Amino acid sequence: MSSKEKFNQISPSEFFYRNRDLAGFSNPTRSLYTAVREFVENSLDACDHSGILPNIHMTIKAVDPEKPDPKQYILTVKDNGPGIPSQHVPLAFGTVLYGSKFGLKQARGMFGLGATMAILYGQITTNKPVKVKSNADGKTRFDYEMLLDIQKNKPVILKKQETSSSEQGLSVSICLDGDYAKAGTKIRDYVYQTSLITPYATISFDDPKGEKFHHKAIIRSMPPAPTIISPHPYGIDVETIRRMLVDTHYQIPNVDDKMIEKVRKELGMAKKKFTYNEIMKKTEKKWKSLTRPVRVVIALMSFLEADFEKLKRIRIEDVDLRNNKLLYWDYSTSETIAADMDVESPYYKQLANTVQGESLTQFLTKRFQRVGPTAAVEFCKFAKFKPETRVGNMTDQELVKLSDALQTYEGFRSPDPTCLAPLGESPLEKGIERRFDPDFMAVIQRTASAYSGFPFVIEMGIAYGGNIESRGTTVYRFANRIPLLYDEGSDVVLKVVKDTDWNRYKVKSDSAPLVIVSHICSTRVPYKTVGKENVADRPEIEKELRLALQFLSRKLSGYMSKKGQAEAAKKRANLYSKYLPLVAQFCTELSGKKKEPDYQKMIKEETAITNTDENKEVEKNG
Amino acid sequence: MAKKQTKKETKKQNKKEKIDKSKKLIEALKNHGAQIYEDLENGEFPKFSIPNRSISNIIYDKKLRQYILGTNTSLRSARNSSQLRSFTQLLWLAFFANKLTHEKKSSTLRDVYYSSQAFAIDFEDQQESDNIIVDLEAVLSQPREDFFVFPEERSSIFGDLTIEYTIPGYEGKTQNLSSHPDGYAIGPSMTSAELSSTSAELVIAIEKGGLFTRFVEEQVDKKFKSIIINTGGQAPRSTRTLLKRLHDEMGLPVVILTDGDVYGEHIAMVIKSGSANAAHLRELTVPDAKWMGVWATDIDKFKLPTIPMTESDIKRCHDLLKDPRYQEGLWKRELEVFTKIKKKAELEAFSKYGLNNITEKYLPKKLEESKSF
Repeated sequence: MSSKEKFNQISPSEFFYRNRDLAGFSNPTRSLYTAVREFVENSLDACDHSGILPNIHMTIKAVDPEKPDPKQYILTVKDNGPGIPSQHVPLAFGTVLYGSKFGLKQARGMFGLGATMAILYGQITTNKPVKVKSNADGKTRFDYEMLLDIQKNKPVILKKQETSSSEQGLSVSICLDGDYAKAGTKIRDYVYQTSLITPYATISFDDPKGEKFHHKAIIRSMPPAPTIISPHPYGIDVETIRRMLVDTHYQIPNVDDKMIEKVRKELGMAKKKFTYNEIMKKTEKKWKSLTRPVRVVIALMSFLEADFEKLKRIRIEDVDLRNNKLLYWDYSTSETIAADMDVESPYYKQLANTVQGESLTQFLTKRFQRVGPTAAVEFCKFAKFKPETRVGNMTDQELVKLSDALQTYEGFRSPDPTCLAPLGESPLEKGIERRFDPDFMAVIQRTASAYSGFPFVIEMGIAYGGNIESRGTTVYRFANRIPLLYDEGSDVVLKVVKDTDWNRYKVKSDSAPLVIVSHICSTRVPYKTVGKENVADRPEIEKELRLALQFLSRKLSGYMSKKGQAEAAKKRANLYSKYLPLVAQFCTELSGKKKEPDYQKMIKEETAITNTDENKEVEKNG
Repeated sequence: MAKKQTKKETKKQNKKEKIDKSKKLIEALKNHGAQIYEDLENGEFPKFSIPNRSISNIIYDKKLRQYILGTNTSLRSARNSSQLRSFTQLLWLAFFANKLTHEKKSSTLRDVYYSSQAFAIDFEDQQESDNIIVDLEAVLSQPREDFFVFPEERSSIFGDLTIEYTIPGYEGKTQNLSSHPDGYAIGPSMTSAELSSTSAELVIAIEKGGLFTRFVEEQVDKKFKSIIINTGGQAPRSTRTLLKRLHDEMGLPVVILTDGDVYGEHIAMVIKSGSANAAHLRELTVPDAKWMGVWATDIDKFKLPTIPMTESDIKRCHDLLKDPRYQEGLWKRELEVFTKIKKKAELEAFSKYGLNNITEKYLPKKLEESKSF
């Protein structure tokens, strides 16, 4: 049997190479677009998190403009962000799965994989190195040229150069197979829509045909940056709990010389030699001021009746609470010795606590957001756990029970949205206004909600008329400030818009110049695919979208009926101005009179009546 | 001699009546104009009161033996912005009708539609202008022919009848209507002409042009001392007016010959008692007119070749069975037979027994019969 051969390990970069379709690099058109996205989003994320107003410049240049598409292009994205410290550059751009985005906060990208994928794709299709120029301190710029060793998942540095420069920021340039003829529209849309949802950023783009697109920042303040927070109980699975337990589990301290020094210092017995009894006596006096590791060491010493000399000669192997035995390795005799532990001893509890980990209530309040002591106790009642249960002692079945209970308990407060960075109503409004200069517009930011433990916020804007050229409802979708351009049909936002009965809001949805801008912010946007192009229809998200849209539609409806009334009044006034003169003319001839009757005053009156009607309406609404 | 004298007197009287009618019309139009003028002067919105022509307001008058409008009227006001347009259209038509009547110039329905465009009166289509014409008829209680608006002509007349034209350019000119074998079109000049003299003792209205030609060829006019009129299907108003005048002024009985089906029966009925469409008008009916055939019972009697009825034929039968005019006598009997046999026979069906079978055999028989009902 040679089944063993089948289990050769592959490196992450090889895995991604084989599965590049998943990440949006399936063909030259899509790949060029995805590469643009990954680099621009990385730059925006970097600027956001450092509080720098982004200024991003992108160029796409054909290597040989004469050739037909698909052909090789050089894509360069340059930003004014924090840059990457020189020593991290090779790893950040030369390995897959190296990144700083593993915490729980909102960011455009998830793990910083995409940029590496783009580099990998460029390398595969053109065999040219990536060029990275990074200036992290505003003094020195480091220029790298690198290739990626796919098998080993390691960067191969071809060239490294240092120059002094005061311009902080990062510039990445790759050569890749692309099809701008086909991808151009999407890329231009992407750049423009990104500027719509990031009105504090300046984004410029020089396209291969020599066209320049420049979207200047229209506001000078950024929305508050998101913070990293602990997870919410909803959406936690057994595996996550297990990993959290490992974190909380106090390891038996490694009793080395350093540790012993620490114990001596805390006891104030640094210099001299002390007997076991002297140490214990001092401990009783100082207990309250001792740190936890020191207390644990002293507890161990109490059961071994060991002084510092003896402590140096042994290594603790196990604390067996079931049999109340303490096992240790004695270097001097080279054997494992079991010492009894007195359950009555005050130190026993100290040791037991350490090994068994925190109580369930402590664990819940410390490790999760939105769980206070009361909520923790209430939860334990609900889940039928004793509040003082030690999490370290929990069996697998109990962990499953705990995880299930966390999902079903309804008493937790909704997730903390401070990890989110919605754009805010005013910037969104400004973004829409700059683009469409609409006759009517309304925006709303819903309060934070959560699906499966992940907080999210819906922001939405609606615009009518003005510079909107398209007829019918156009929906601009954004998630974490990323425009979503592909796979529109299957997106939950589209579903909600389609389900709306626009007639109710006095809008002819197939002919009205209507734009809807929808932005969902979440620590994890539930994309349907790895390509991150459409949001799945989670009921919680759908509900929030629906409420947001209803709010905006009602506002629009108010505007529409006012508009409708004004139009009707105008139409009526026009009608009288058109027909009354004719009526006068015909009746004059019919009755054989010479002079036409004076009908002008009637037209005036009629127009005046409609005007006052209109004013009344405005007052009522105002 | 005495008879002639009487005729002359009638003629004079007719002429006078006609001038009166025309005067009355012009007077009515002027009054409407003056009322509207006054309203405008007073800063009030003018309005027309129009008899309601919806089904609910159409009733059958047994005494008059025709459909008439009930007492419901609707107001068309210039104040109502949704009625202002049609109000203006109606006023314009009154103005236009006034002009036509003064100048004695005739206009077709289509002419009306196009004439409106010179006055920035925007009729969307001829249907709309036709409706306004009916509105004016209802307001004035006079048919459009009285204000010189005529439909396209498709019916014709033949026989020994001498007429005297009254339309401008032909006044006093006479014409005998047996001089041209194809017959004479029944248009505005014909309906407005004086009926001077005739040797005929009968008017035969026939539904189809083909049979009309046959009747002329076979000299039915001479053989039966008759005037032959081709109604061209459902008789137009001008034809019905002429039929009425021949009956009333010349004292001629009117008989009607149609296809042997439900539509034929109803063509005869409309000549006799008018249509629901024209319920707002009187003086278009010949209540004494007689439907001579082809009856449903004739189909079997004369062994005529038949065609099965279509779905819509049968539906029409059932619709008419509910009509108050079909609730008794011949009309009810024949309609019920049609409904039962679900078959129909055309006038041409007699050709099976020879081309002149209808004039030689059927017509005399039926004329004889008709005297008895």
